[in-house]
Amino acid sequence: MRKVIGAFLAIALVVGVAAVAHRPGPAGAQGGGTIEAAVTYAGAPAVEKLKVNKDTEKCGTEAVIEKVVVGANKGLANAVVSVPGAKGAPKAMKVTIDQHGCKFVPHVVAMTPGEVELKNSDDILHNIHTYSTANPSINKAQPKFKKVMTEKFEKPEIIKLTCDVHSWMLGWAAVMPNPFFGVTDASGATKIENVPPGKYTVEAWHETLGKQTKEVEVKAGQTVKVAIEMKK
Amino acid sequence: MIPALVDRRVGRGGGRCGEGCWDHAARVRISGRGWAPSGRGASARDSQGTGPSTPPHNAHRPAPPGNAGGERLQGIYESARLFAVAALVVFSFVAVPSFVAAQAGDAGAGKTVYERKCAGCHNDKGDGKGPAAELLSPKPRDFTAGLYKIRTTANKVPTDQDIFRVITDGMPGTSMPPWAVLPEKDRWNLVAYVKTFAAEKFKEGPKNLELPKDVASSPESIKRGKEMFEAIECHKCHGTDGRADGPSRAELKDEWGNPIPPANLTKRWTFRGGAGRTEIATRLANGVLGTPMPAFLDSVEKPEDIWHLTNFIVSLGPESPRYATLVTVTAVSDAIPDDANADYWKKLAPSNIPLLGQVIVDPRNFNPAIDLVSVRAVYNDKEIAFHLTWDDPTQSAADPASKLYADAIALQFPPQITPGPERPYFLMGDGSDPVYLLRWENGKGVSEATANGPAKIAPLAGAEARGKAVYANGQYRLVIKRPLGAADAARPAFTPAVFTPVAFQAWDGGAGETGTKMSLTSWYYLRLEEPQSNRRFVIPPVVAILTLAVMLLVVRVANRRA
Repeated sequence: MRKVIGAFLAIALVVGVAAVAHRPGPAGAQGGGTIEAAVTYAGAPAVEKLKVNKDTEKCGTEAVIEKVVVGANKGLANAVVSVPGAKGAPKAMKVTIDQHGCKFVPHVVAMTPGEVELKNSDDILHNIHTYSTANPSINKAQPKFKKVMTEKFEKPEIIKLTCDVHSWMLGWAAVMPNPFFGVTDASGATKIENVPPGKYTVEAWHETLGKQTKEVEVKAGQTVKVAIEMKK
Repeated sequence: MIPALVDRRVGRGGGRCGEGCWDHAARVRISGRGWAPSGRGASARDSQGTGPSTPPHNAHRPAPPGNAGGERLQGIYESARLFAVAALVVFSFVAVPSFVAAQAGDAGAGKTVYERKCAGCHNDKGDGKGPAAELLSPKPRDFTAGLYKIRTTANKVPTDQDIFRVITDGMPGTSMPPWAVLPEKDRWNLVAYVKTFAAEKFKEGPKNLELPKDVASSPESIKRGKEMFEAIECHKCHGTDGRADGPSRAELKDEWGNPIPPANLTKRWTFRGGAGRTEIATRLANGVLGTPMPAFLDSVEKPEDIWHLTNFIVSLGPESPRYATLVTVTAVSDAIPDDANADYWKKLAPSNIPLLGQVIVDPRNFNPAIDLVSVRAVYNDKEIAFHLTWDDPTQSAADPASKLYADAIALQFPPQITPGPERPYFLMGDGSDPVYLLRWENGKGVSEATANGPAKIAPLAGAEARGKAVYANGQYRLVIKRPLGAADAARPAFTPAVFTPVAFQAWDGGAGETGTKMSLTSWYYLRLEEPQSNRRFVIPPVVAILTLAVMLLVVRVANRRA
């Protein structure tokens, strides 16, 4: 009997969470336009490699530090594209950063102010050490038995995440003031939907290459393409 | 000269020291007078009580008369401590806080003191980039960041009391000396002034940290602490045995990008925030800000594990190193083992000798890696053997390409043991008075040499000395043996009951130490115990009987005359 109740409760919980997660975005954003951004970089990819002297069964024997990842057609991955001037209430969202294979996955996460779930799938000690100014920086140990920790990033800024145990681990959490942002995929593309119509400055940020901006006009129900080239 | 450099390695000052205190004080005096570059130069020759290298404790303080005296001192110390504890208990019932109550300081007055006493390292602007900062490791605090390593609060803001305590007690193991010499009011004024460098960080106010309920130390608690130590992987930085030799050691940097070594958990007296249980538990709970040491309060299995861990860490080493003033060489009649790990050595009490950086000749060593060598020594009718133990987080052999050198250690003796206070210059002798070096180097083994100064070292032919080192978990153990007698005039002969000058030098090649970049001591003494014979059981009774007989005779003669 207990098991049945337990199972029922578990299902109810999952359904409940799923329902919350799928809540539609703020009503004001309806009827907006879409920005399709393509971020490129003409330079060479920058990758550092480091010999690993511990936890090799989890981290591998070689750590690859991807400072600049360039895909097909010079597409730049891991760039955060945002529309800082757009007005819209931040939508509730929960982001997850996993520490897996001694890497932060995803490497760059963009989010609205709120909670971030920090997972440790590695079964070894990591420590979440953040570098921030607006938010209180944290340095908390996450031993192997602590699978999930929740932290709050409540103020917009770009936060660097490191792990002192594995010094090559590097991640970024871009906390944005509005819900209009995206992180570029391996081909350098990202899509920002439901942007209220208007003229904006679109901003692209990359951890190594810095910032570039481009003017754009968003019209209701239309898709506008914007190409941003990052320079060293 | 920079006071911070000179006063390095002073233990927790103020009125709170344990037994090692006297020696600490002695070391400070030596540092103040002799270790800083002096005008005497390499040609100076020491004589007792006047030379820069003379350990004042050797000159002015008689060696404790064997173990019995030591135990008596210990007894007195114990009763004093009991009395102090009793007084404290009574005191706390009278509801007087055991710490100095916080006072509101005057930042303006603090500025004057700051510019006089603190700016040399922390700079006028408070950014930690004072003229001396370049030479220091760990680097002086950057007050403009408002990040304080040692705090007793749940958030990033330290209490005024926290800052006051660091000013008063200093930070052991760093260049920050205790400033208890300043009037208390000045120290509170300093607290107020350093806060102004990052005033916005103090707007929030400190939040009280609630530690879990204290768990007294017990074998079970220590066992649980060890389990937790392994589960939360403290060894990644602090090493399996806590000797700061973990695999992440080389990668560690503070938030300013400067390399920062993990704490050696077996040397509690070097803990930056103090060696007490509550202090250790607090560091574990909320971490050390600005460094890689994270907060563990929410990252242990159960809250009380913080205390089990604390009890385990406390069990790793003594609170005080109890520095020795004399190395006693025990007389034995059996064979002396070559194995440095043999139980034989564990039965002998070590003499702990502090080492300091060599800062007299270039290149100087301002941040020595090796700060202590534990010496055990025995001799039999043929040979003398030294057992040396020292912590070195990296086992390194010579590799000039990557700026790594061989780890090494040396014992230094005068070639001739003469009565009287005259000894060669302690820094490897000089042109007129050489020293004899008994040296071990990783990869090369044991060798003997004559030195006329650090730049003039000549190997001695005829391998009389031998020895072998073992390395495990951040620690070297070495046995060096040599015949008692001297083969020639370049080597000393060891004679029982003679005070023989000895000095030590050590190099951590993994930290780039080689040549004059070393840690060293000034002259100490070693004394070979006189071999035990049955005479001491025979002569006193004979003397007693004879005395009695004479007395009886006197009484009898007197009686007869009367």
